[in-house]
Amino acid sequence: MKTTAGSLESSDCLITISDSDALDIKIESVVFKQFGDDILEVITNTLKEHKIDKLKVLCQDKGALDYTIKSRLETAILRRGENNE
Amino acid sequence: MSRSYLFIPGNTPSMIQNLDVFESDSVIIDFEDSVISYDKDAARILINNFLKKFSFKEFDIYIRINDSLNPNFLKDVQATIDLDITGYVLPKAGLEAIEELNKHIDNKLIIPIIESPLALLKAEDIAQSNNVSGLLLGAEDYTKELGINRTLNGTEILYARSYIAIICNAYGIESIDTPYTNKDDEIGLREDSINAKNLGFTAKALIHPNQVDIVNDVFSPSTEEIFQAKRIIKKSEESNKGAFSLDGKMIDLPIIEKAKKVLEKAKKYNL
Repeated sequence: MKTTAGSLESSDCLITISDSDALDIKIESVVFKQFGDDILEVITNTLKEHKIDKLKVLCQDKGALDYTIKSRLETAILRRGENNE
Repeated sequence: MSRSYLFIPGNTPSMIQNLDVFESDSVIIDFEDSVISYDKDAARILINNFLKKFSFKEFDIYIRINDSLNPNFLKDVQATIDLDITGYVLPKAGLEAIEELNKHIDNKLIIPIIESPLALLKAEDIAQSNNVSGLLLGAEDYTKELGINRTLNGTEILYARSYIAIICNAYGIESIDTPYTNKDDEIGLREDSINAKNLGFTAKALIHPNQVDIVNDVFSPSTEEIFQAKRIIKKSEESNKGAFSLDGKMIDLPIIEKAKKVLEKAKKYNL
């Protein structure tokens, strides 16, 4: 089951997560060359904070700052938990 | 003390990340009407992360939480209680709602929105409630409950405006006028702000950053007001009397106190 958070508006990102047997992170961003590594770091750190090591994450970035990416991922994780309850 | 209170949608990163460039004296991050039900959780998490990363000293930050009967009310408070914010703007405010909010907060101010006829009738008690630092008139909901239409000249809210301004001034709290909803009408905004100021309001709520300059200008003391206030204070200090004459006009304590307020405001805003 897929869970989403965020949007494709400017300065935001749309995070889509779904079940996976491993960590599978895909980033689509107009600034991937400049900030791809930073976005990946935010995502991996956020997943570590939430002790998650198996998840498929798609981040469609529209120029979001780090706390926005973290927030959207955390929202998706929260919603996934609520959906599984 | 603020002249302008700018509403910012709580789930819009492009607006949130620019909070410090709008030059509003206060900003109200909105979790209520501008955030759809599905995204209330997203707004709480976004603002929590944003305000943990950045702190602002140049302006006050309030959060408009959902009303006390809404299931998001407690979640809004819990998600923000530890953040460095000045306080909360409480919609659909009544005495019970303020009491409920006061159970959960510590060292935070409350600005209740007066947006129903019943709340207006209770406004004097609301103004005296714990932690209440000002009242905000919410004219859209107020007129909706009365079943009347808003007009450009605002005659239909004249009584509510006057009553709120009197109460706030009587109890020494901020009186914040309802937003002017036509964001492109600068002349109307200025006229509406001047009307509110002339009724005794100390500030105005805004729905768009474009409105900040006009509202700050209207609610600032004018150069002439500052000049006169300085003369009054100087003469007061020189004469050492409770009442004296200046330019043929009698100056006594209330006018001296008013002059002090003008200078206090001028100093705060570097005028």
